Amino acid sequence: MTAESVQNTTKTFKFSFPTCTNEDVLFKLEVPVEIPHNGSTRELVQRVINMFHIPVYLEDELNEKLAEFVTEETKNFHNDRDEKLLNQLKNSELNVEGIVKNWEKMFKDNVMEFAEQKGTSDEEVFAAAYHKLVHSPALDTILQVENSYAKTVMNTLNNRDEDIKMLTQRQTEEMEEKVRLLNTFTTEEEINELAAQHFEQQSLAAGRWGSQLDALCQAQRAHHRAWLMRTLDQYQACAELDTPSNSPLATFSPEHVPAPLAPRQRLEESFTIHLGSQLKQTHNVRIVAMDMLDLCTVEHVDNPTEASRRLQTSLSLYSSELSACVLVCESAPSRPAPPTAALAAAAAASTEHHFAHVDAQLREIAERVKEPAEARNAQRLKDQLAQGGKDTKNRWKHSLQPGDVFVTRHSNLADVHVVFHLFADTAPLRTGDITSRHPAILGLRNILKAACCNDITSISIPLLLRNDLCEETTAAWCLRRAELVLKCVKGFVLEAAGWGGAEPRTLHFCVPPAVAPDLFQALANLLPTIFRISNPVKVKPPPS
Amino acid sequence: MRDENEDDYKFAACTFFAKNHPGETCGSNGLPLTPSSVTILGRAQRLLHLEHLNLCTYLDVIRGKHERIIVVAEVIGKSLNEVKSKFSHEEIANIGLQIANALKFLHEQDITHRTLSADNILLDSNGRVKLFNYGMYYMTKSGKEVSFPLGLPRYLSPETILGGGGPSADVWTFGIILLELCVGKLWQNLKPGPILRRILTLVHAGNPAERIAREHDYHETYKQVPDSLKNIIEKCLKIYPGERATFAELVTELSQMDNKKLVELKKPRGLMGCKLQLLYHLWQLAGGDIQAELKKNCLIKSSPPILSMPIAILLDGCTIGGKTGALFDRRIAKYSLNLLKLRLIHISPHDFYPLMHERKKEYDAVTLPKIIRERDTEYQFYRLLWFQRLLHGYPYTAQYIRAEAEIDIPPLVRGDVWAALLGVVGDIEEQYERIDKETPTPTDRQIDVDIPRCHQYCWLLCGEAGHRTLKRLLKAWLLTNPQYVYWQGLDSLTAPFLYLNFCNEARAFACLQAFVPKFLHKFFLKDNSAVIKEYLAKFWQMTAFHEPVLATHLHEINFVPELFAIPWFLTMFSHVFPLHKIVHLWDALLVEGPSLPLFMGVGILRQLRDTLLSSGFNECILLFSDLPEIDIGECVKESIEMCRSSPRSISYRRFTNEPEIKDPMDKVEIPMDVLFTEICPRISLSDFFSLVCQEKCCVIDIRSNLLYEKSCIEGSINVPYSGVHLGQHELRALGLQPQRALTEAAKLKKTVVVASAEDETAQLFSDYLVKCGVCRVCILHGGVRALHTHVPSLFTTPPPAARGSRATERT
Repeated sequence: MTAESVQNTTKTFKFSFPTCTNEDVLFKLEVPVEIPHNGSTRELVQRVINMFHIPVYLEDELNEKLAEFVTEETKNFHNDRDEKLLNQLKNSELNVEGIVKNWEKMFKDNVMEFAEQKGTSDEEVFAAAYHKLVHSPALDTILQVENSYAKTVMNTLNNRDEDIKMLTQRQTEEMEEKVRLLNTFTTEEEINELAAQHFEQQSLAAGRWGSQLDALCQAQRAHHRAWLMRTLDQYQACAELDTPSNSPLATFSPEHVPAPLAPRQRLEESFTIHLGSQLKQTHNVRIVAMDMLDLCTVEHVDNPTEASRRLQTSLSLYSSELSACVLVCESAPSRPAPPTAALAAAAAASTEHHFAHVDAQLREIAERVKEPAEARNAQRLKDQLAQGGKDTKNRWKHSLQPGDVFVTRHSNLADVHVVFHLFADTAPLRTGDITSRHPAILGLRNILKAACCNDITSISIPLLLRNDLCEETTAAWCLRRAELVLKCVKGFVLEAAGWGGAEPRTLHFCVPPAVAPDLFQALANLLPTIFRISNPVKVKPPPS
Repeated sequence: MRDENEDDYKFAACTFFAKNHPGETCGSNGLPLTPSSVTILGRAQRLLHLEHLNLCTYLDVIRGKHERIIVVAEVIGKSLNEVKSKFSHEEIANIGLQIANALKFLHEQDITHRTLSADNILLDSNGRVKLFNYGMYYMTKSGKEVSFPLGLPRYLSPETILGGGGPSADVWTFGIILLELCVGKLWQNLKPGPILRRILTLVHAGNPAERIAREHDYHETYKQVPDSLKNIIEKCLKIYPGERATFAELVTELSQMDNKKLVELKKPRGLMGCKLQLLYHLWQLAGGDIQAELKKNCLIKSSPPILSMPIAILLDGCTIGGKTGALFDRRIAKYSLNLLKLRLIHISPHDFYPLMHERKKEYDAVTLPKIIRERDTEYQFYRLLWFQRLLHGYPYTAQYIRAEAEIDIPPLVRGDVWAALLGVVGDIEEQYERIDKETPTPTDRQIDVDIPRCHQYCWLLCGEAGHRTLKRLLKAWLLTNPQYVYWQGLDSLTAPFLYLNFCNEARAFACLQAFVPKFLHKFFLKDNSAVIKEYLAKFWQMTAFHEPVLATHLHEINFVPELFAIPWFLTMFSHVFPLHKIVHLWDALLVEGPSLPLFMGVGILRQLRDTLLSSGFNECILLFSDLPEIDIGECVKESIEMCRSSPRSISYRRFTNEPEIKDPMDKVEIPMDVLFTEICPRISLSDFFSLVCQEKCCVIDIRSNLLYEKSCIEGSINVPYSGVHLGQHELRALGLQPQRALTEAAKLKKTVVVASAEDETAQLFSDYLVKCGVCRVCILHGGVRALHTHVPSLFTTPPPAARGSRATERT
């Protein structure tokens, strides 16, 4: 508010002193001084004395005079400016209403005393309740309840798939029959009519199942909330917990535990690294060959490994140690395609009890991003045209551009709470060579910054910035790309230390699962050359 | 325990968020912009050192997560807002005088208050007035580093509302406060908008004070206010800042009116008599937690981060959705010292006043590692009281300070103690003032490049204030030392002094000025190759002396100190370690003197010994390109031990500013080219003599047995050089007796001195011993002949029978 009006001025400091032979002839000294002067006037006096060879006996006098001069001029500087403002006000040259409105808004938006009183939001109350319960003996029950809910959804999904499959099969048979009889008993019109009918049936079935699923999820969500809040009350009242009779647990049978699936064999390697030239910060880095979506998909079976993954995710959901992953996607949020669509499917596999349904989240993103992104695109286009660039209007038809990121939140995925969708659809990213100024890399920087600002301490990054391998991705290309990504990430993590947020403590680099073991080894060997592997202090027993 | 009452609260904290830089954060120099919180932290340091009777001392400024700033300052009594009773006019004059005194002082320091209000003027039961948190406007760079408006609407002056406002805006606010004290609260139930509108309409009034009173139906009350006070209020509430009185004038006028004298309280004794900074430091050590109390009072709210996740981030860094800025809460959390009082309850009153010549108590904590001692409340309490006393008597207590510093230095007074150890005395401010630090010089460019890379993990050094001060220090040093040039690394060397004397530039400079000649004499010459080469050669000799096996390995793979150790010594390790390690390293350095760094180098190598022994040249280069974690406490301990157990003359260097050695008994200087070829250091005759007297050496005479039999050093063993197979690196090859003597020497940590008739054979033989893994090998300077000339009394003729077997006889 006050900042913009401050403009420094320069005033000339005049000083005169008599010459040694004649009292009336004066040496004159003129020094321009910036007002307001920042710095010590006494130091300025020393510089003046040295530069103009002023006799030292004048030092004290100069000190005094210059200090006086600066004080006086500073005062005048402020007073003149303020006088001008006040005169303008008196003469009604100022937009008083605008100024007052502006202050009003500033006070209202930023200062507690003047802000509108806001109660704690519903979301926050639920968050607090959940966080509390999840860190209580009720944890086990909650997870079991959630699991059984998820199973119901899964069963419904299975039924749907079966139903639709049967429908499709019936229709196919019917159609084949009709086609076989074409030109004997049936006409083309009839076939067309049948096709339309089939289509209608299909969409009807899909719609029916969809609404059934929706209803189920809604009901589960409502139940879950009500049950949790009730449980919290009980917990606080007696600190003891019974399973309520109407809880879904009534149908839950913990006895039957299938043999755990053999853990999938993954190529992976972990390192502890040190970053920083003097002060060293420790991070964990892991390179692993897997599909990023593995971090998301939950298999709702009573499998201890799966359960412990869910446990971890539930415990930290409302903590300040979140985990996230980065998905490189090529489709806008409004028209999800893999991998976004696959993620959406994984998220829809069980009820989202905490946040909006993934489809709703994507819709909201598409809506809210539209305006700022288009404004940005228009600006860019204008800049480009102004610079004499070619009219590449086509490039700007999407609202999102490569390097932009959209974010979804989830409570029901296996290992992550937050998914960063890094939008990138340029061909060079897929197979060509890119530089550190490529939008995808800059997007990655934004992601790491957002992670730092939002307490995400563990993040999974696609090492090659693509989800699979193909013929063009030779080993040499992979190594080149991996090196670039690692070096850039290293820079960003170093930078993050200054942002004053949460440090990205654990970095996972994911390589497509189809990677050959020797290529994976080569990639893993890259890590210690780029990051400094920590060298722990070895405690030696005292020689005796 | 008593109930907590008002007087128990000694300090308070308030918190706010600094502004976030929008979008892409890169400055014009291509480096990331400094976060606002860091700028605030840097500016606030100056406030920590302001002291005035009517100001609450600032104790700490903390940078929290996500740009949070926490300000901790002293509090007393209650704020004017909380005092419900009305004041008499005399009392108002007295309160006014104290406020005016405080503001006069602030204006003299070029600090504008801007946020003066009834709730940050504190009053205790004795009538003492102190202003609380008067530095918001200053530390936030006139409010530029925060997103909320500073001040309260009803105290804003008209020109401030219009976007102007200099220091005299404080005079207006002061006037409003006096008026409020006289007549009652103003604009009480109004929202900010209407208040501001009313203040702006005052510009048309002839007498704003009266107009305000009239508006509030306080006119009658206002009329009763004595003219003198009314006069003052009206002088403050002038519309044009130029017409308002200054605080200097107000102080004079108010002191004429004020006839009330404050009761001079007797200074409390014991714990409460200590300085508040000390108490705050100890309180923290005792487990005091600023953030916990803020959380309890809901001043730090933790909404789960997942709820405020952004929904999209555009490429240019524009964030959509997510966190909305937190509101600025003006409330404060108060803290009492009960925690500390309980912790120190058993300390007897006279322990607070230690006597300098009294026999000191031994604390059992002394045996613990330094890092633990630094966190021990009680230990620090005793140490701090003791050091404060000693520092009070500086420079006359210099030797006591040195003796105490040898044990450890409390972090709170480290800056002062270092200055004392470096012998900084005199009017350093004036000397520093005289140096021109502003005029551009050709080195500025390099300095500007280096500073943003120097210890930037430290919030103090990475801010604007830190950068500016570091540059001024470097320029001042270069100007005062024209014989020297700027070598990269000088910035790192200056950083610890700046870090410890952040608000005392002159002392930081004086420390640097004293440090360089003592430890880095001639290192910053334009051609410093000879100095550095000698230093490294000495370092290599010390390595061979204490770590012969390691030295042999490194010699073999040709991994020479030129490859890694130059930044170690050129910056006295300040380039390779973080500040919290440097301070411990230098604590020892300043006490032990200039030969310690050589042994510190050896200490570092010793910690990496196992890794180094199993590494080849390339691995070593990689290892040292970014030094691994080193246990500094251990390294310091061992290097001091090595330094003290080594004869002084073996670490002799010619390039020091110590007086030239005249006595031939002490001389060990050899031509530089000879020095570079010798693996073992030379010992002076006098050092040798004292070693012999203490029976701490094992002398090996490598002259021929004919010469030996004629006359030899008493107790020496004869190993004729001509009989040694230099290729065979086994002690056994020397024969049974020498082997036994050398093993014995190693066991008793004796120094092995090679005495010879000529340098060449001594060199080769000592080299051979090192290769055999013999510790503490050195060459007698000048050989047997010189010794015979200067100390003939050491010589004897060996009895033919017992030749060379004396060592065995003695045991």
